Amino acid sequence: MGMIMNKTKKVGKIKKSGYTISFDIMAYIFLTLLAAVCILPFVLIISGSFTENSTILREGYSILPKKISLDAYRLILGNPTDMINAYKVTIFVTAVGTGVGLLMTTLTAYVLSRKEFKYRNRISFIIYFTTIFGGGLIPWYITISKVLHLHGTLTALWLPGIISSYNIILMRTFIKGSVPDEMTEAAKIDGAGHIRIFAKIVLPILGPALATIGLFLALGYWNNWISSSLFINDTSKYMLQFYLYNMLNRAQAIRDLALTSGVILEVPTESTKLAMTVIATGPIILLYPFLQKYFVSGITVGAVKG
Amino acid sequence: MKKGIEKIKAAKDGGYSYMERLYQGKKLGIWISLAVSLITTLLFLLTKVIKIENTAQLSEVLGLDLQEGGFSTSYSTFNMLSFVHKSGLGAQGLFAMILFAITIITIVLNISYLIKAQKFSSRKSNIKIYEAGQYAMVFNILLSLLVILFGIYSNKILGLVNIFSHSVLLYLIIVISIAGFVVIKRMEAPERKLYKELGFFKELRKNWVLFMLLLPTILFFAINNYLPMVGIYFAFEKFNFRDGLWSSPFVMFDNFEYIWKADLLKLMKNTVLYNLVFIILGHIFKIFIAILISQLTCKWFKRLNQTLIFMPHFVSYVILNVIVYNLLTYETGAVNTFLTTFGADRIDFYNTPGYWPFIIVFFDLWKGVGYGSVVYLAAILGIDKTFYEAAEVDGANVFQQIRYITLPLLKPTFIILVLFSLGNIMRGQFDLFYQIVGNNGLLFNATDIFDTYVYRLTMTNPLNNGLGTAAGLFQSLFGFVVILLTNYIVKRKNEDYALF
Repeated sequence: MGMIMNKTKKVGKIKKSGYTISFDIMAYIFLTLLAAVCILPFVLIISGSFTENSTILREGYSILPKKISLDAYRLILGNPTDMINAYKVTIFVTAVGTGVGLLMTTLTAYVLSRKEFKYRNRISFIIYFTTIFGGGLIPWYITISKVLHLHGTLTALWLPGIISSYNIILMRTFIKGSVPDEMTEAAKIDGAGHIRIFAKIVLPILGPALATIGLFLALGYWNNWISSSLFINDTSKYMLQFYLYNMLNRAQAIRDLALTSGVILEVPTESTKLAMTVIATGPIILLYPFLQKYFVSGITVGAVKG
Repeated sequence: MKKGIEKIKAAKDGGYSYMERLYQGKKLGIWISLAVSLITTLLFLLTKVIKIENTAQLSEVLGLDLQEGGFSTSYSTFNMLSFVHKSGLGAQGLFAMILFAITIITIVLNISYLIKAQKFSSRKSNIKIYEAGQYAMVFNILLSLLVILFGIYSNKILGLVNIFSHSVLLYLIIVISIAGFVVIKRMEAPERKLYKELGFFKELRKNWVLFMLLLPTILFFAINNYLPMVGIYFAFEKFNFRDGLWSSPFVMFDNFEYIWKADLLKLMKNTVLYNLVFIILGHIFKIFIAILISQLTCKWFKRLNQTLIFMPHFVSYVILNVIVYNLLTYETGAVNTFLTTFGADRIDFYNTPGYWPFIIVFFDLWKGVGYGSVVYLAAILGIDKTFYEAAEVDGANVFQQIRYITLPLLKPTFIILVLFSLGNIMRGQFDLFYQIVGNNGLLFNATDIFDTYVYRLTMTNPLNNGLGTAAGLFQSLFGFVVILLTNYIVKRKNEDYALF
């Protein structure tokens, strides 16, 4: 009896080989270094934004603020009109663009997933063709701003981005993968039309997919600076990232801001740039950990079927 | 009744069944339409369909001497462009360009019909062949009408009468094409009934809801993507604001020549090389990271780690600009501060082109590798655990398991992803380059790619429309060829993964 109990005890222990241990150590070290490299720049920026400007100019950026000062934030928040405008515009464009884009993308993907639609391969090709050949930046710019007369409007910021070939193909893969044919067949036999099938059967199943593609769209809009640079000249209509870009490139912009808020004699250009950066990217950095799984599922489904 | 018996008798005596006679009739129809295709193709290729009636008057109007200078009195749709080039009549340029393009399409359609018709059979549905034939015939008619229209238009813009005219053969083409179209249509109808394949309009009526749902998207692509393609014409003219797109002087390939001589090779080299390095290094890192993560068992570490390495993906490139500046500035950059604390000299990054390829590659990897490893992680998690268990029983250690199981099984994913990325090798990452390098002219030789070049050309001087579009066209064309090639290669390996 004693011998048997001994044997059971040994089987219960998991013995790790030397190789595995060394591999694990290497893995932990490398991944920790990688994570450090990934977030180090952010640490520098945040710390710099809280540092006194003259300290930055004298001693450079560092991981911990050498001399804490809230001047930069005071400057920006003292006259936040422009920044709040940028936020408003960005939120509006992101919301509208994501909403419209999601609707159109999903409808298109639905149609393209229907087997009874004889032209789906041809239409898929027409859609895909736009990714491999195009007229180029200039003709597109002229189409949007001169032909459609959208120059200077907010519409020019969200309209061109609502549909992308990649999103359509991704959504179509989602639909094909999660909506079983038997369901739609049964519904058709029961006399349901396409719109009803879409609304009552496909859409409910598609929840995670909607979240994923919605987030892709939203991230694209939030980080977009090119549209503002091409189509907008009115500073009150700049989107957030372009507002930041503008400020980075024009030290004058910061001095102007300082003048209007009447705060400080010596303008803290460097720390203000960093503070603006923190404000411009804060929401995304704070939100994305909670939404991670949607992004992950999107990239895996997309890659598997391509 | 008598008539009926007689008919059957006649059929039997004839030795041919009804089906066979039908087949013979169809064959005749096909031969007729093929003849039409062949004739029209040869006519469009070889004859000069555009004529100039009164060269003297035209000389006066243009202020050129048409007798010399290599002008002729008749042109085909192909060399009409050379006339426009020499005469400097910009207004005709766009029309001539469209004629040229449609001629090519027409000829391609006719030839493809000639080829497809070889597969004509009495057993299967020939509807696709009929459709090809109908497209060819329609384009024959379309092209002829356009040439006639061209003559009228040219006369109108010169304010004269009867200078430009067309060859009589065009009328012949129109007539035989109509005949060919009718013949094909008549052969098509019974087959459509037989194989229950509806024509376009019937299909439309049956599934009209689906078409309606699709309409906004089609409109979007038509306006946002296909309409700008007309703007390709910018590349062929010397743009000025007064004349605009339609009438600026036509210079044919001058813009392309300029770009070729000036910057094209450098742009191609930069774009391609950077992309190659991004792709290869990127995928290697992603696989490496994915393998490491997949082997670890500590859950909280994995989750925290993933969240942290995802972070670079979510920030915009403008932020990246701040980061790079933050790190590399001469006076205050973190890297330089780090160096000086160890007594080393500062490095002037922004004035030294040599460092920048490495800098750009580093930041591209920084931004993409954490997030991109997820694909490979998913692939690894999809590998059957029994492989590893069997290997452990055989005494393989971790390194051996990775080398002999994980890596080989990841190879297909790796190859497919790399091939896809290669397809886009001509598309640079505009955001990345523009934000990091900005307008620092010193660095352009080492870091300029197609996308930034075109953007800069246009933004600095709108008159550069032609050059910018020409560069963009180079990029699109090269990219298109590369994609066709890579798709062909992927198809050979594994048909499922091919794009089309």
